[in-house]
Amino acid sequence: MSPEMVSAQQIASELNETPPSSAVSLQMSVDNYLDVIRGVVDLFANKRQMDTIYVAATISSDAIKRVLQALDIDDSRVYFVDCISHIMLGATATQQDEQTTLVESPTMLENIMLKVEYLIRRSQSKDKLVVIDSINSLAIHNNNWILSEFLHVLVSGLRSRDAYTVILTVEEHSTPELNNMVSLVCDHGIHAGKKEG
Amino acid sequence: MAKTAERDRCVTGVEGLDTILYGGIPRSNTVLLTGSCGTGKTSLALEFLMHGAVKDENSLFVSVTENSEKLLQNIIPYKFFDKSLIKSGRLVFVDMPVMYERLGLTKAELSMEEIELLVNSLASLAKELQTKRLVIDSITSVCYKLKTSEKIRDFILKLSKALSDLGCTSILVGEVTADSASYSTFGVEEAIADGIILMANMERRGDLLRTLQVIKMRGTMHSRAKYVLDLTPVGVLLVPLLKGGSTG
Repeated sequence: MSPEMVSAQQIASELNETPPSSAVSLQMSVDNYLDVIRGVVDLFANKRQMDTIYVAATISSDAIKRVLQALDIDDSRVYFVDCISHIMLGATATQQDEQTTLVESPTMLENIMLKVEYLIRRSQSKDKLVVIDSINSLAIHNNNWILSEFLHVLVSGLRSRDAYTVILTVEEHSTPELNNMVSLVCDHGIHAGKKEG
Repeated sequence: MAKTAERDRCVTGVEGLDTILYGGIPRSNTVLLTGSCGTGKTSLALEFLMHGAVKDENSLFVSVTENSEKLLQNIIPYKFFDKSLIKSGRLVFVDMPVMYERLGLTKAELSMEEIELLVNSLASLAKELQTKRLVIDSITSVCYKLKTSEKIRDFILKLSKALSDLGCTSILVGEVTADSASYSTFGVEEAIADGIILMANMERRGDLLRTLQVIKMRGTMHSRAKYVLDLTPVGVLLVPLLKGGSTG
């Protein structure tokens, strides 16, 4: 029997129940990425007229923009901190613009925090959402010690600014250490992975 | 135990720096802002002046190494910067080479009398403009005209005293080489300044990070930790340097 997926609407409903300044661990399956994007960006953030700051560490911001367009999701309130395009050395067409800020490498975790901080200060919307996509990709480039410190500093800073944080974890690529690291800084967990039906 | 009076602060406007300094630079302090090239010293110093000008504190930038017109062309397009601050005289730019020429200080090495003349001229200008914030970029370039440690000490001591008496908080920008173990080129500037803010480029696994660390600041408690910074249109942003469990 094929596994049943959690719907975009269910993800948005669960996020809607969390108060501002919450940090949420969203464990997903690689097969469920589109529903997660729709649930988090469209049905949760866009619906509440919230700016989304999307830290892209898995695929380039260009690729994510194409996904949003394919899903017919308004991306005018989505701002990217792209830490993958630069290391691809021109393999993507991603350019720095009003909505996209490039970080040279996913190992420059402080620079990711600085770009998030910059976009938060620039944002006009009352509420803000920061999405980390994904902790697994950041773990490829960073050891657990520095990654854990990064999450702690980032999430603490975002809480003080009443911003929502959603940390994506890909269950197929996760480890108990990574799951523990994420749960340590998060108040809520949403399981949007595979459920055996 | 008697409690010492809290010193009035010059709020730099750089949020992270004011937090590091527990509220800002103690007013009238002379601070050495030092580091190698490309670390953001001039941008930070300019931001300090701009925030002052925005808050109606007259601010003076004395440019030694670069023509101020060229400097303004390359300035970061700060959201909080308004060119009317220059027109209104809240923010004034002075080129030191022009000042040297007007004062007849054209020799390669200044005498003690000429140093006195230079200090008095800078102090008079600051007084005339009712300057509350002043930056000299860079003090190292001025020191090259003084040559000896005695003259440098004399110049910085007299200038600091004169500016402090005017209630002016000053930043002296210092230049050091990337591999320097000292905070200043001549070794004198760091000993006289009330505060030292060190800016550097730090390499970690092939990545070059801009860092800032307050080494000393008389008149206040302060963090001595290293921070990573970014120069953005909303100003200098700072976050703690991640240690990643390292013991080094």
